[in-house]
Amino acid sequence: MAEGNKAARDGGGLRFKVRGPRDFYGGLALIAVGIIAIWATGDLGGSRGFAFGPGTAPRMFAILLAFMGALIAIGGLLADGPPIEKFAIKGPAYVVAAILLFACLIRGVSLEYIGVPVNIPGFGLVVSTFVAFMVSIMGSSEMRWTESLLAGIGMTVFCVLLFVYLLALPFQLWPSFL
Amino acid sequence: MTDLFANLWLGFSVAAHPYNIGFCLLGALVGTLVGVLPGIGTVATVAMLLPITFGLPPVGALIMLAGIYYGAQYGGSTTSVLVNIPGEATSVVTCLDGHQMARKGRAGAALSIAAIGSFLAGCVATVLVAALGVPLTSIALLFGPAEYFSLMVLGLIFAVVLAKGSVPKAIAMILLGLLLSMIGSDLETGAGRMTFDIPELSDGIGFANVAMGVFGFAEIIRNLEMSQESRDIVQSKITGLMPTRQDLIDSAGPIARGTILGSLLGILPGGGAVVASFAAYTFEKRISKHPELFGTGVIEGVAAPESANNAAAQTSFIPLLTLGIPPNAVMALMVGAMTIHGIVPGPQVMTKQPELFWGMIASMWLGNLMLVIINLPLVGLWVTLLRVPYRLLFPSIIVFCCIGIYSINNSPTDVIIAATFGLVGYWLAKHDFEPAPLVLAFVLGPLMEENLRRAMLIARGDATVFVTRPISAGLMLISLTLLVIAMLPMIRKRRDEVFVE
Repeated sequence: MAEGNKAARDGGGLRFKVRGPRDFYGGLALIAVGIIAIWATGDLGGSRGFAFGPGTAPRMFAILLAFMGALIAIGGLLADGPPIEKFAIKGPAYVVAAILLFACLIRGVSLEYIGVPVNIPGFGLVVSTFVAFMVSIMGSSEMRWTESLLAGIGMTVFCVLLFVYLLALPFQLWPSFL
Repeated sequence: MTDLFANLWLGFSVAAHPYNIGFCLLGALVGTLVGVLPGIGTVATVAMLLPITFGLPPVGALIMLAGIYYGAQYGGSTTSVLVNIPGEATSVVTCLDGHQMARKGRAGAALSIAAIGSFLAGCVATVLVAALGVPLTSIALLFGPAEYFSLMVLGLIFAVVLAKGSVPKAIAMILLGLLLSMIGSDLETGAGRMTFDIPELSDGIGFANVAMGVFGFAEIIRNLEMSQESRDIVQSKITGLMPTRQDLIDSAGPIARGTILGSLLGILPGGGAVVASFAAYTFEKRISKHPELFGTGVIEGVAAPESANNAAAQTSFIPLLTLGIPPNAVMALMVGAMTIHGIVPGPQVMTKQPELFWGMIASMWLGNLMLVIINLPLVGLWVTLLRVPYRLLFPSIIVFCCIGIYSINNSPTDVIIAATFGLVGYWLAKHDFEPAPLVLAFVLGPLMEENLRRAMLIARGDATVFVTRPISAGLMLISLTLLVIAMLPMIRKRRDEVFVE
């Protein structure tokens, strides 16, 4: 999310001014996605005879995407546009953290990351729901503890009743190590 | 004609089965309940509630999903009227006059006209779906891969034309969506494409994850930025639920015109419901004797867009049920639901499973009727729900979405993918990119590629096949014309005006 800083730097350092930063950096990012996609499909076979290979269509769309990105970026250089809004950090950080925690806790994770084994046991629906609720609620600037705890417990009970008892979906309820 | 009635009779006998009526009622109720929550649109609602229908028999599941869809749409308008926060794009225009009416103490009249308008529009649209189903299915049999491909191009071009903001940006979103849809194993060769050696990506990215991320999580993150204190809930007690005689007279014309506009725009692939409501509102304003009053709380400004978006929501089932092409994101979720129940959407559904096809159509009508019946007495309940502060609401939505996504495949990776798309959606919004074309392209991507490859193979590598076969050439010509029109400076200005209103 360094767009904001970059915009400020370019505005001062370069002779020309980026007149529509939203379009300009948006376009640049699309070019980057296009290039990554072209690189990632590099090992896939192209057309053979009349038949498309697995790589033909993705490469086609990736090239078009990079082209459109360039068009948008050039548009951003030439035409005036609104500045980029500031990216909030706190809200998204807590929300994403809550979702990731839910994903890791619900069934547990066991993988090896750069040689370091990571082992999280499955905590089950009750714990992961409550944790995700409490972490995401901290993303709000108007958080109150008692109210949040009560709401978190209420929501957990509601979800367990709805998904496990009413809809009978196969969830592990409690931590697997208990 | 007798066929039509016989078919509808079959449909009603299926839909009127006590179980199915129950599912329909439940769907409409739950759909409204979630749809009322500010900041959750129809797509997120349907995606969230998708797992609820897993355990049901196929007909019941689809009837319930359809009920959820209408319920969510209706719930969105309730929020627009009462809080001035549109639950989703289709009810943006309803805010303009609906909320003004509510501030004048006429929320009851606005809500009941919205329900009545939606119901009447739904009745007409249901007949239309039934009537057009058979002929369109026979057209579908004439379609080869080239025609299918061109039709989907047309759908995507529609999405570009109808998206707000710049045309190149909408096209870029389409391309990004197509590209994302190609992640995973290649259909013909099984080669992993753009999977970056991550085994979880080899099955591709699930549609529900993308939709939840871009529409659900990204919305929440954006809402958190705004101060929630500015929510302007109508605090006064809602009285006078019934519209007056004058209200009914005033809204008869707008409802009729909105229904026609909505039905026509809904059939077009590419998200017709949004534009239908905008178009109906603008049209009413133009022909009105007192255009200056629009925006101050006139009943026409509620009746027209609400009828139009409901008609469009209904007729958007036509391309899905007859051609097997989902015209918008909600229909794409329907495809997902059908696939889970082992039904392949397309022209063969009507011949092989007539009770499913006609049962669903009949249940649309029943669903609309139920919305009128359940919503008017329950308005008080929705108001209470709207008073729940957002700081407690959003964590609940997040948790609910997480469980929903996880339960589709029992896959934690899906939850992580959705979180990623939440951030992507946030970034896109900051750069004025519309997510709707991206999601539609993501849905159509695999179908498009398959038909493109087939068409090229059959034509022995000759790309001119798309313009030499007459139907395909016609579709391509329409697409091109639309695109050129959208790019013309004069039309663009008008288009911006429509969206600004």
